[in-house]
Order: sequence, then structure tokens, then C-alpha cells
Amino acid sequence: MSLAVIVFVCLPAAAHAALGVSLDATLTPERLGHSTAVGLGFQIRERGGRVPPPLTEVDLQYPSELGIATSGLGVATCVPATLESLGVEGCPADSVMGYGTALTELPGAPARLRETNGLTIVRGPTEGGHLTFLINATGAAPVITALTFPAVLLPARAPYGERLLARIPPTPSFPGAPDVAVVKMHATLGSPGLLYNERVGNKVLTYHPAGILLPSRCPRGGFQFAARLGFQDGSHAVARTTVECPRAKAS
Amino acid sequence: MKRRLARTAGVLLLGALGAVAPASGATSASQRAVAHIADTAHLHLVKASGASLHEVGPVSGTLSGSMQAVLNVSASFSGEFTISTGRGTIKGHGTAVPHGSGRYESFAGSIVVTGGSGRYTHVHGRGGLFGTFDRRTFLFVIQTTGELSD
Repeated sequence: MSLAVIVFVCLPAAAHAALGVSLDATLTPERLGHSTAVGLGFQIRERGGRVPPPLTEVDLQYPSELGIATSGLGVATCVPATLESLGVEGCPADSVMGYGTALTELPGAPARLRETNGLTIVRGPTEGGHLTFLINATGAAPVITALTFPAVLLPARAPYGERLLARIPPTPSFPGAPDVAVVKMHATLGSPGLLYNERVGNKVLTYHPAGILLPSRCPRGGFQFAARLGFQDGSHAVARTTVECPRAKAS
Repeated sequence: MKRRLARTAGVLLLGALGAVAPASGATSASQRAVAHIADTAHLHLVKASGASLHEVGPVSGTLSGSMQAVLNVSASFSGEFTISTGRGTIKGHGTAVPHGSGRYESFAGSIVVTGGSGRYTHVHGRGGLFGTFDRRTFLFVIQTTGELSD
């Protein structure tokens, strides 16, 4: 398990009370040169205990040394139409890259209403030369949620190497009420529970995909992550975190 | 123009730049030896480190030999390569944009040849880069086309 140093950076919106956003990242296990599962999560808090505005954009930056494109995750693809109409069950098992949860709240509700949504990350068709993930969010109560949105893998400026940019469509709540607000999200790419199939001759072999390959050497300063979150009211917030390099074994 | 075409054709008849040493030696700066190349490399993984893949494999076509490449497979593809032939080495780099989906991805881009050793010490050129990548086995098939000048 890696140590995540959480840094709060908050850019208050002109029209909204200041938001506090924290980002956490884990590499499990954190063994250089070996495959790992990358856990990423953020939490959004509004001072005064109010529900934050609905989340509309997540721009997640991470080190280029993380081999997401070389991970062997998502060796099949699922198209958005299939995911929207049939759910994850309609997608090839080999397209699933990870799982997660999102905690949402309903602004304006008389009592604080919270809902935990399941997240599934699947490989989508490449768009414009960019690797694309599809994120499927489902929830049952108090609001039935079935949401699919893409996250596109793009180059990022140093010290990061790549970024995942997701634009989140609005999630309606009750008639006349504001859209659902995300207050917490966590997802793992390369979840240990993933099972893929590969046809070899006449046999179908089942295997666990290796996960995301860590570099042989730790980047200087550790594995740095950043998230820029955009909200429906036009405000945004930035948070950063670093997964420290593993300590060398005592000789 | 006719003379240039004739020269290029002559170079092509000789097959590859490696075979044009006498012609190259006789040329002036304004009469460069030019060779069109069209090669295919089949690369397999030697070592992976994060998004960086060290690959090697045979090259066939205009040049015959082997290729070593360090490829960065991320939002886009980039890498550096060294082609070794019996006459020396050719070094360069390239970038490509992936297409397609799933296990097999195709890519297209460009390469720049920056120099080398032996017969190819002063070689340079540009060309196209095309290929496929198996995300399960990390096998690359890379096709390059273009012109080399000496």
C-alpha cells in the first residue's frame, strides 16, 4: 500500500462559496517494475455544510510513467450505445478496466439525501486518435441513475504526462429540483477482480489482466497526480497529491 | 529534373542507400545520393517499464537487418529507433497517432532519421510510419517509407 499525501488547493468561485477538494491516489501494490492497481478518488466539500454544485468536468492528470496504455486492460471495446442500452452486462468482459463508487447528494432536498452509485470503467472506441474510457454510473434509490459518459486520454504538461478528461452530463433529480451533485468519487483501474477471456485454439482461457505497469525507477518526487474539477455554476477547484516512492529495502 | 529522376532511379536500382557508396562519394553537396526506403519491422517486447517498451526484431525491405526501439505508448505513440545492418546503423525517432480499438491498434505518423554509424554516419531523412500494435502481447509491426539522403 502506498502513502498518499493529500494537498488541498481550493479556487473559490466568484458566485459560490469556497469549495474544498481533496484528492487521493494509491498504487496497490507499489512495486517498481511490476503491475499495480491505480486507485484515484476525490472528495468535495462546501464550507457551511451545503451541498456542492453539480460536478460537470473532471480533468485528472497523472505521471507518464504509469503505463495505462500498455496495461493490457481493456483489450476489447464497448460502444456507448451498448453500454447505455444494455448496461455493463452487454459489454465484453475484456473491455472492463475497473470499478468504483460515487457518492451523490440531492441539493435542495428537505433532508440530506445521499446515494451511492456504482461505477464501471470500460474501454471505449478510440476517438480522434485518443484512447477513450467510458464510465457507467448506476444507482437505484432515491434517484434511479443510469449515466454513461466518456473520459478521453490526452497528453498533459509536465510534471504530469497524461490526463483523463471527462465531461459529466447533468443528472436530474426530482422534478423542479437541482441536478444531483457528486460529493465523493473513488475508482480503481486494474481492479484485482477483473477476469478476461482469451481464445487459444479451440479453448477459451480465463485470466486476470496484469494491471498497470509501474516503471522500474520511481519518478523524481514520486508519482504526482492532480485533479481539476469543474462545476455547473462555472466554478472550479484543483487538488494535488503525490504517491511517494517506495522505500528501498534495507540491505 | 530529368537528371534528378535518373539519379533517383539509379539509386533505386542499387536497392538501398547502403549500396550507393561510390555514387555518394562522387556527388557534390547539390547532388545528394537519395534512396527511397520501404521497410517492415516485426518487433517483440524485451522489457517494459511503465509506458515505455523496449522492443527488438528483424527488419526487411530496402534495408535488411534488425531494429531496436524504445517506444512510449501513451496518449500518443513516440519512440526512438536504431536499425542495424551489415554496413552500419541508422538512428532516428518518430511519433504516431493510434487508431482503432481494443486489442489491436493501428497507428500512423512520421519518422525522422537523424544519423547513424558506419556507412550511414551522415545519413538523414524523413518518412511515413505505419503499423499495428497488439496490446496483449506488445508485438509491433512497423512499416516505414520515405527518403534517405547522404
